[in-house]
Amino acid sequence: MKRQTVPIPLHLIQKRRQKRFYLGLTAFFVIVQLLWVGIPIFMAVMWSLVNPNDSWSYPNILPPSFSLDQWDYVFKYTNIGRALRTSYTVAPLAVILSFLLSLPTSYILGRKNVPGKKIFMLVVLLPMIMPGMVVALFLSRVFSILGLSQTFFGLVVAHTLMSMPYMIRVMTTSFAAIPQDVIDAAENLGATTYVKIKDIFLPMIRPGLLAGMIFAFTTSIEEFNLTFIIGTPTFETIPTILYSFMGYNFIRTNASVVSLLMMTPNIVMLFLVERFLKSDYLSASLGKM
Amino acid sequence: MKKIVVFALVLLLSLSMGFAAGAKDQAPKVEVDLMNASWDEIVEAAKAEGEVTFYTWYFPDYFREAANDFQEKYGIKVNLIVGDQTANFNKAISEKDMARGTIDAMIVGGQWVKTTMDLDLFWGPIKNLIPEADMLAPSLWEVQEGVLTKGYLAPFHRNQTGILYDPQRVPNPPQTWKELEAWIDANPKKFGFNDPSKGGSGQSFVHTLIKETTGGLEKYVGDTEVDPAKVANWNLAWDWAYSRKDKLTFTVSNNDSIIRLNDGEIAMTFGWDDNVKDMMNKGNLFSRARMYIPTMGAAGGGDTMGVLKNSPRKAAAVLFIAHITSPEQQLKKYQMLGAYPARTDIEITDSLLTEEDRANNALAWFPAPYKDYMISEFVKNVLMR
Repeated sequence: MKRQTVPIPLHLIQKRRQKRFYLGLTAFFVIVQLLWVGIPIFMAVMWSLVNPNDSWSYPNILPPSFSLDQWDYVFKYTNIGRALRTSYTVAPLAVILSFLLSLPTSYILGRKNVPGKKIFMLVVLLPMIMPGMVVALFLSRVFSILGLSQTFFGLVVAHTLMSMPYMIRVMTTSFAAIPQDVIDAAENLGATTYVKIKDIFLPMIRPGLLAGMIFAFTTSIEEFNLTFIIGTPTFETIPTILYSFMGYNFIRTNASVVSLLMMTPNIVMLFLVERFLKSDYLSASLGKM
Repeated sequence: MKKIVVFALVLLLSLSMGFAAGAKDQAPKVEVDLMNASWDEIVEAAKAEGEVTFYTWYFPDYFREAANDFQEKYGIKVNLIVGDQTANFNKAISEKDMARGTIDAMIVGGQWVKTTMDLDLFWGPIKNLIPEADMLAPSLWEVQEGVLTKGYLAPFHRNQTGILYDPQRVPNPPQTWKELEAWIDANPKKFGFNDPSKGGSGQSFVHTLIKETTGGLEKYVGDTEVDPAKVANWNLAWDWAYSRKDKLTFTVSNNDSIIRLNDGEIAMTFGWDDNVKDMMNKGNLFSRARMYIPTMGAAGGGDTMGVLKNSPRKAAAVLFIAHITSPEQQLKKYQMLGAYPARTDIEITDSLLTEEDRANNALAWFPAPYKDYMISEFVKNVLMR
């Protein structure tokens, strides 16, 4: 008996095409991520495990033997322990301080029409544009005059200053995105300023705040110039150790160890923040969830 | 939320106060005229100062060991900071006008010696203070890479540039300029050297290039500034390099040249012996690599140590420099790293470069003004052209 072929409906064909398109996009994304993120991390891990007595060189694709000697070297001969302690004490404090200091500025820039707003926005970003060492050399004089050099508080302030442009920029955008209708409705229902901050502003800027915190945290963890000028020799952070194996005296094995030490806690933090970001109040308020 | 913020602020304040108290400099003021003091008085003054801060950008392993030995011997703590070369000098320069700096002594490399001497950054001369100063490379006490240092900077080690190669890929390495030229032409892109503005080994290659293509180096001896008549034919050197631009590999630093050799991108390069040995020790360069000073010559020099003018602990700084230049420490450094000692009274065996090469083929740099001119002109006429 001859089977009759039933034509596939057009909408199913389109759906399959769409599915293939999305699959292709996902595959592309995965490949790009593997190339741009996976390979450098893989190489850093490999270089950190190179046996000093059996170098990894041409034409070997992988190290001929592995050892933990490079890790041992970094822990034995550098101040990495105290650097890790300082970095992970300063960074959270710098994040909190930059949040508190950025909050009023971001609110004004995001919600109010003040004269010269655009110029001010540019000025805020200047520390990001200027070379790090130039900013550090100028600021070091100010820190010295204020007696903040070689103090822990000075280090926190320095990291806060470097983190603030990111925090202000991201939070300003978050404040600007809050719909005026929601605020008006709350006011009509008799909400006080405290209630508005607690129930509208803070929940709605939370995704931006968390993004700003990530930027501020990583900026603080990676800050080198100002820390080196005003902090050392009293304080050392992870980048001050990392830079001794980078640049002029680039030694891949040791640089890989310090990079991995610096990167791992940041990756854990990013995963934690991703979990928080899932509850998106702003999107919910706009009916997009 | 409120509780978290309050807690964080309290934590910040308490930590700041705690750390600030810890950071407070409690070094006693030592009133000794060090320039006229006996060595015993300097040692006593150093012990009274109690600690010393030393900045370097390499050899953390050796300096950590040396610091521990120093503390054990004299009871003086060493704050050792292994930073980045440029950052070290930027910090020292940024603190220049402060009455009391945070660095007591530091390593000085050829890249920065002119700038730091011009800025009058160092205290001294310290040559008369260091015991057995005459046992340290005499020329390095006076001149470092063409810059007059006049006893202000104590020799730390002597280093030498030469040709570094992979013997599996270069069975007969060149000795003369003509041989090198022929090898480069026959093996395009397999010879590399770093941009001379980014490291001394590249400078050394260009220095030899000028020597070979413009009529030797003798005419520059003793000059304190660039004589336009003497550099009029340097275009011959730039033309040589420019015409082979597609056959040469330009790297970005001394270590980058070594890394590219290890990765197989190039087969031959100019390098510093101490750099090469350090990279080998750490598994960053294959142990089959060989190095020599060709008969056409390659420049050598050394790194030095200086006491900062605004150092709060000058006696401890001088004592630490004396400790580093002692026979035991110089030998230890050689045994750990293979870096050629600054002392001339130590017998060296199993060195990367032969004593014969060092005696016959090592070149002295031409005066610093010519070196600066060479770097800027090479960048302009070859790299940027």
